[in-house]
Amino acid sequence: MTDLILKIEKLHKSFGEKVILNDFNINITRNTSQVIIGGSGTGKSVLLKCILGLIEPDQGIISYNNTPLNRDTRKEINFYDEIGMLFQGAALFDSLTVWENITFAIKSKRKSDLREIALDKIHKVGLDSTVLDLYPSELSGGMQKRVALARAIAKDPQLLFFDEPTTGLDPIMADVINNLINEIIDQVGATAITITHDMESAKKIADKISMLYKGNIIWSGNPGEIECSNNPYVDQFINGRSEGPIKINIKD
Amino acid sequence: MINYIYNIPHAIGSNVLNLFAHIGKISIFFYEIIFCTFTLPLYFKTFFNQIIKIGYNSLPVIGLTAFFTGSVLALQIYVGGSRFNAESIVASIVALGITRELGPVIAGLMLAGRVSASISAEIATMKVTEQLDALTTLSTNPIRYLVVPRVLAAMLTLPVLVLIADIIGIMGGFVVATQSLGFIEQSYIKNTFDIIQLNDVISGLIKAAVFGFIVAFMGCYHGYNSTGGAQGVGRSTTKAVVSASILILASNYILTSLVFNS
Repeated sequence: MTDLILKIEKLHKSFGEKVILNDFNINITRNTSQVIIGGSGTGKSVLLKCILGLIEPDQGIISYNNTPLNRDTRKEINFYDEIGMLFQGAALFDSLTVWENITFAIKSKRKSDLREIALDKIHKVGLDSTVLDLYPSELSGGMQKRVALARAIAKDPQLLFFDEPTTGLDPIMADVINNLINEIIDQVGATAITITHDMESAKKIADKISMLYKGNIIWSGNPGEIECSNNPYVDQFINGRSEGPIKINIKD
Repeated sequence: MINYIYNIPHAIGSNVLNLFAHIGKISIFFYEIIFCTFTLPLYFKTFFNQIIKIGYNSLPVIGLTAFFTGSVLALQIYVGGSRFNAESIVASIVALGITRELGPVIAGLMLAGRVSASISAEIATMKVTEQLDALTTLSTNPIRYLVVPRVLAAMLTLPVLVLIADIIGIMGGFVVATQSLGFIEQSYIKNTFDIIQLNDVISGLIKAAVFGFIVAFMGCYHGYNSTGGAQGVGRSTTKAVVSASILILASNYILTSLVFNS
């Protein structure tokens, strides 16, 4: 097995005349934490949805462990059993309790075993057993994110996806989530792909950072290199300046 | 002026294309429901929960509607019948009207308002909050988990609700006829049982199963294809109720024609 867990070649996606991903290429190495940064509307979420099979790309190949992914192969290799996904808004199921949410994807086990698994995972994200029987609406935003994280790691996945993991959280809770992500990546031994525009979060959890602009990667490097990238787009983005080569089109 | 002339074929063309796109989407959605219904796994827990939500929780509203429909029907038939000295037909018309038409249609329309709207809003909200995407990433087909149990539950519970509505509706007519129109209890009941045939009840129940399918299908379809955030949830709910109601009335005509022809 090669060292690459995910390979994306010449990925193209457009909605009508609006091109979102344009000849996008990236290689993700096993057991690394890859962070993709970029402004709003640059195609980060579309990229994630293409990998997950939630959106069909127009062109291009996405390979997982050397298997090109499509609707059939995702089923054949049980792709969804090998991945975990943390959604931006947690996306917990309102009608299910915390423990039912966490163990949702685990089939063919007794209720007592499922609760044990839920308890183990809830401890891993720094919560205790008192939340197991609560419903998502009874939890704070930070706790919901943690429960969603517990659900993402419930099946000990090989590949974890994080969609804006710190969006909507206060700085302290954001740091807690960043630390949890680091701990979990180490504990589970998984590869992580995170999309975010939170630079603090990106620097903290990334082994490698890539910047997406106009549907393609314009810079890649280690977190330590990003401050001296000599790339005017990256400089403008990480320093949060409105002046620079990235023009904000208000109509977009 | 020239622009207006150019806009007419453009509007017609885009509407025709939209219509075909909708037909295509509905057909694929229908196929996926059928496929998932006849293949494993079936989510029995969700199915039983939906039976409670759709069936049991709709009992009060359908019971009350049926009672008042039967009551008013008795009053109207009495007034109409008295014009040609045929007051005695009240029991027969109430029994036939309720079992063959009003029971299934009123129950179907009430369910369209109560259940179709709730299903559509629930699924559309799940879509907006990425819960449908989450289902997919958790190895679960959203149609299998969300849509199939709702469609099956509605198809199974509406006939039961209609049977109950038939009994309560006829009882509503009986109460009005005997308490305010001066009918004798025994003869009213005898007239009712004399006129009703098994076919009358069964044709109503077949209609109910079809209406149940329409109610759940329209709720799920519009919820599943909702776009545009909170406004989209509202739009999908309205579309679900309106389309389910119209389809119930249209299919009622088709089914009645088929039953009469047969």
